[in-house]
Amino acid sequence: MAVIRDVMPAFDLLQPESAGDAQKLLQQHGSDAWVMAGGMDSLDWLKDRIKKPGVLVDLSGVEELKGVRATGDGVEIGAMTTLTEIANHPGIRKNYGLLAQAVELVASPQIRNQATLGGNVSQDVRCWYYRGGWPCYRAGGNICFADTPVGRNREHAIFGANRCVAVHPSDSVPALIALDAKFVVQTSGGERVVDAEDYFVGPEDDITRINMLRPGDLLTAIRIPAAWAGARFYFEKVRDRNVWDFPLMNVASAARLNGGTIAEIRIAVNAVSPRPMRLQAVEAAVRGRAADADTGEMAGKLAVEGAVPLQYNAYKIPLMRNLVKRAVAGAGQPQGSSTLASNALAQEATCRS
Amino acid sequence: MADTPQESAMKAEQEKPRPYGTGYRLIGHDYKTPDLIAKVTGRSKYAEDFRAEGMLFCRLVLSQMPHGRIRRIDASRALAMPGVKAVLTADDIPAQADFLNDNGQTIKANQWGERALTNEPMFFGAPILAVAAVDELTCAEAIEKIDIEMEPLPFVIDPLESLRPGGKNPHADGNVWTRGKSGEELTELKWTDADFAEYEQGRLPMGKPMGEWSYGDVEGGFRDAALVLDESFVTPDVSHQCLEPRTAMAYWQNGKLYLHTGTQSTYQTVPAIARWLNLRTDQVVLISEYTGGGFGSKVTGTVIMIIPAILSRKLNAPVMMRISREEEHYIGRARPSVLGRAKIGFAKDGRITAIDYYTVTNSGGYENNDNGASSAGIVSLLYQPPAMRWRGVSVMTNTPTRSAQSAPGGLQGITIIEPILAQAARKLGVDQVALRRVNSPEGKAEYGPPSHGQRTHVTSCFLKQALDLGAEQFQWKERLARPRRVGSKARGVGVALSCYVGGTIGFDGLIVITPEGRVRFHSGIGNLGTESVIDVHRAGAEVLGVPWEICDVVWGDTSKGMPYTCASGGSQTTHAMTRAAYAVATECKQKLKEVAAKSLGGSPEDYEVGNARVYRKGGGAGLSFAQAGQKAIALGGIYDGHEAPDDVHKATRAAVAAVAGQGLVVAARDKAPRDGNTFSYVASFAEVEVDLDTGKYYITDFLAYGDVGTVLHPHSLGGQMLGRSTLGIAHAIGQKWVYDPEYGAPVARRFYQNKPPTILDVPVNMQWAALNIPDPETPVGARGVGEPPVGGGCASILNALSDALGDDNFERAPVYADTILASYEAGRPLQHPLMASI
Amino acid sequence: MPETDNLRTEEGPSTEITRRRFILGVIAGGAVVGAASYRILAPGGRGRSFGGERLITLNVNGKPRRVEVMKQETLAWTLRYKLGLTGTKLGCDRAECGACTVLVDDVPHYSCSLLTNTVRGRKVTTIEGLAADDGTLHPVQQAVVEAQGFQCAFCMSGFVMATVGYLKAHPSPTRTELAHGISGNLCRCQDYMKILDAMMLGAEKMRRA
Repeated sequence: MAVIRDVMPAFDLLQPESAGDAQKLLQQHGSDAWVMAGGMDSLDWLKDRIKKPGVLVDLSGVEELKGVRATGDGVEIGAMTTLTEIANHPGIRKNYGLLAQAVELVASPQIRNQATLGGNVSQDVRCWYYRGGWPCYRAGGNICFADTPVGRNREHAIFGANRCVAVHPSDSVPALIALDAKFVVQTSGGERVVDAEDYFVGPEDDITRINMLRPGDLLTAIRIPAAWAGARFYFEKVRDRNVWDFPLMNVASAARLNGGTIAEIRIAVNAVSPRPMRLQAVEAAVRGRAADADTGEMAGKLAVEGAVPLQYNAYKIPLMRNLVKRAVAGAGQPQGSSTLASNALAQEATCRS
Repeated sequence: MADTPQESAMKAEQEKPRPYGTGYRLIGHDYKTPDLIAKVTGRSKYAEDFRAEGMLFCRLVLSQMPHGRIRRIDASRALAMPGVKAVLTADDIPAQADFLNDNGQTIKANQWGERALTNEPMFFGAPILAVAAVDELTCAEAIEKIDIEMEPLPFVIDPLESLRPGGKNPHADGNVWTRGKSGEELTELKWTDADFAEYEQGRLPMGKPMGEWSYGDVEGGFRDAALVLDESFVTPDVSHQCLEPRTAMAYWQNGKLYLHTGTQSTYQTVPAIARWLNLRTDQVVLISEYTGGGFGSKVTGTVIMIIPAILSRKLNAPVMMRISREEEHYIGRARPSVLGRAKIGFAKDGRITAIDYYTVTNSGGYENNDNGASSAGIVSLLYQPPAMRWRGVSVMTNTPTRSAQSAPGGLQGITIIEPILAQAARKLGVDQVALRRVNSPEGKAEYGPPSHGQRTHVTSCFLKQALDLGAEQFQWKERLARPRRVGSKARGVGVALSCYVGGTIGFDGLIVITPEGRVRFHSGIGNLGTESVIDVHRAGAEVLGVPWEICDVVWGDTSKGMPYTCASGGSQTTHAMTRAAYAVATECKQKLKEVAAKSLGGSPEDYEVGNARVYRKGGGAGLSFAQAGQKAIALGGIYDGHEAPDDVHKATRAAVAAVAGQGLVVAARDKAPRDGNTFSYVASFAEVEVDLDTGKYYITDFLAYGDVGTVLHPHSLGGQMLGRSTLGIAHAIGQKWVYDPEYGAPVARRFYQNKPPTILDVPVNMQWAALNIPDPETPVGARGVGEPPVGGGCASILNALSDALGDDNFERAPVYADTILASYEAGRPLQHPLMASI
Repeated sequence: MPETDNLRTEEGPSTEITRRRFILGVIAGGAVVGAASYRILAPGGRGRSFGGERLITLNVNGKPRRVEVMKQETLAWTLRYKLGLTGTKLGCDRAECGACTVLVDDVPHYSCSLLTNTVRGRKVTTIEGLAADDGTLHPVQQAVVEAQGFQCAFCMSGFVMATVGYLKAHPSPTRTELAHGISGNLCRCQDYMKILDAMMLGAEKMRRA
């Protein structure tokens, strides 16, 4: 079969208007159905003609999945809420600025106007072999092209590799893990609410899936508990270009300080492993210590213990060490609970001052 | 011969910078180009915006192998589908024929040259067949029903791997280019193990070269040097990534081909199409009013654009071939990577005593593109070494076709040499600007190797003035005095010299003064938005003394009559076609006087031209341009285009015939003398701030200061100065290819992987300025500007980075955060050596 | 000239196949496609249709436009090839360049990455819809003309639409803020400074207008 890209194959477009209908359709069509939220990841697969679902279930008409609602304990963000809406939402900016910061660094303004939180957390990996249609493990084959002596793996994993060395590319996920968010998933067995980090599936469990969703399942909302509202936050994303690019790495932390010491902290990094990583050992080690440079240094070193670099990504070890250092030491830096604009803007302002 | 004091004073006055527009009504002043309204309202039509009645669509099938031979194509299931009209293969493409160039020389067909479709694809992504159908969806469904059986052939991605003992050849005929009896020939070259002894240390092997030249006493230069540095550096393969993919639409009418596509050069593309299709030039009409970027990749279009033309002829219907972004990545051309090594001797004051320079060029899968060789000439001009040797080899690899890209060779040479200059300045304790100043060319500087005992020289060079004024505007000294380290942030400043060719001579202009009194310039220049397509004719209007408002420019459709025009490449257009406009406007004044004399009596010398009239000197009878246009038609012959002057190109004569009878028709050839070859120059300055914890850096300021002759149009010049600086900067900060060498396939296929710069990757207040000193060797004094800023853009960033980080951080461009961080941690360059496409 | 007025919803040469497909699509869709509100009531057991088109109504540049679209058709495709609004360009078709930017309910979106069927009932504005009916340019367009912003201009309509959308929400940006606001657009001539000059002038003109 000769290869052609950039013409979308035909599919049936189903446009439900309620989450219930959506779920019904998904269950009916099972593995023949593809769920589309903002479409930024989905259309890419379809235009490459690598995925050819018979049925596309478009969630854009499901109003009940959109918007940010205050709950008794924090907020609930509908899975179809756009990243722009989250970044601009006064309540999120006031109490959960970490998430606002993170989503504002995603891709580009137009993508943030279209992309949804549900889509951002559920997107597939960006390994260039896998996305290029190479028949790798994750694509159902029996080889990893990135992890060969000459495989090009600058952007790949230093942790959690198991046949597949792709990394999770989301910017919002580490912020959600640090905020102890819960993901609300409708399954055929009823609603399940899982901790953010448990939503994701590593290659050791199922190499062809990136999250817990099975055919027929639907992520409907993400809840952020009030416990971390107004905490000390740190978010940083390192990428090549300042627009569009996925993270080489990102880090998020949420901390509660008691005087100068860290009373509670949650730290997560992404783009280091096939699954987003919460750094529980580091959290435990820094608890009760001063939120300062020394603790940061210690945290950074601890974070990278056990990292296994590939041929071209050894830089990720010092990068992770330094980002975690900053995320811990940065917790000691007073900081507004809402960000004025994006990190990049702040960074650029720093540069220009 | 020494100048008299008066001559010296006059020369000094001429060689002073002056405000743009000084002494001119139109030249040097901003104006609204006539294409803007259409562009900004969305009415401007690019190739893919056309729809013809009954139009069919075609899509390409690209090779999924880096090198192979097609054994069998079974398209029967595709052809059986409703709506599928044809499958085109390499067997349907006309054989390449020898052709006569403009100078009457026979150019032999290149047996290794690229064809529109091929049975032996030389790289992953080479087009192997095309399918035409009623719509693109049908094309796609049909393509997936085609079975292609291919025999894999040996391939090589990395030029050095091919040069190793026993290394694979990209082609059965060999791996390197040599100059043979009938032009470029492919031959085999393998180096020895001993040549590769220092490969792992990142030192470029320098085995037997295929080309070399030298002048001066190179060894003596090193003996006398206070410091000798020997460094290797790798420049990236960078795709042009024009925002408009090279889509083309074709149809035939009365035996003529009408082709809509984007091209840099309207006039010059017609002979290219004719040659590729074995047609006469009068059988081809090209429509290309708007082109979405070229940068050297569309100088005369691209050979694949004949595919819809062939399909259209076969199917007797218009055919549109839309090229997707991914296809554009494969067939859209790229700048070749150059692996360079230079040994440079410096005197104590930083003056270069000798350069020994070696280059290995990755020339891609088809025609030779030895940018290493062209880089050497630029190096010899820009740094004026008293002695220099160049050696090099251009290697064919199974990677996409290379072509010129803004400052081909210039970017690479400057990028390889400048970091060594920066290092030398640090080691010698000489200020970076001062070191550039002592090495900068000046006046009628010589360059390149001697030919018949004589070295060539340039028309003029005022780069030292640009460097001085640039350093002042950039506040170079003040920046040096600021703290270099704040917390984890390191700051660095960089300066670089830059230059590239800036003009040719000997082309034609064509003006029609209509019976309505309009002055119509016929422009064979392509419209890439550099606005040279319009700008050069301002010089014609200036000479004629007419208000711009009565002028029209006809462009973008070769059926409307195009004079012999240079190709828009090599930054030659502004220079060449300003000269042509000057020549034809001067001739036009003469013809107006003749028409007046014939109509009103007296001799032509009794008349002068001004204010859109030709009138008797000192007042009295005259003709308006409208009347002159009418009179010219009545006079006929040489006045209304029924006869053409003998000394213009045959294409111009054809254009004159096409507009005959439309008014006063004037054609003329540029015959103004020129002493030297024309180059333009730029001094580039940059500041960066590096985060040592992450390796991430920002460019915080940038200035390009140009010595580009007379400024024609400040707005468009500014676009070139900073746009092309940024094109160079992209090579420093991110743009490149990534190839998997085991499979010979590119893994970086998308913008987010190949990384063309975004608006946030450059400072929001980049600055530019130009001396506006006229080049003394050309009327009006304007030189080209497209390419000269490119090398300096890249090198100034690299130099700023090494200022911040030290010399032992990177040996390759682009420089990403990962390299900075890993090398900073290790205290030495931590990059896989000598490979561009990682 | 082969150029034709594109304002039609049928492609001449494709009538046969598209009609056939359209019919196929309708047959395959059965009651599903016929449901007036496009609300899907879980029919089950459907065959796969082949790019079937159906007639929908879009609101483009303030006018209702009836157009037949395929299910997998993107808004960029519909605008360019069905409605003849070729000012919207396809530079990458992958949400990576911004040349296809249009406003949907006044918000900039990449029209290459929106299915046309998802913008029914929403207000779509393209570059062709910016100038007044009498041809008076929008202040941002006027600014581009005055500042000679852009070179090849293939990115221009996307940049103009992104700017207009951004300025509606942020009328007085600094140069840096504006750069961030329109950072989802790529210019390969890399004429970013002149674009920023023009767009800052456009912001000023919009504030005055």
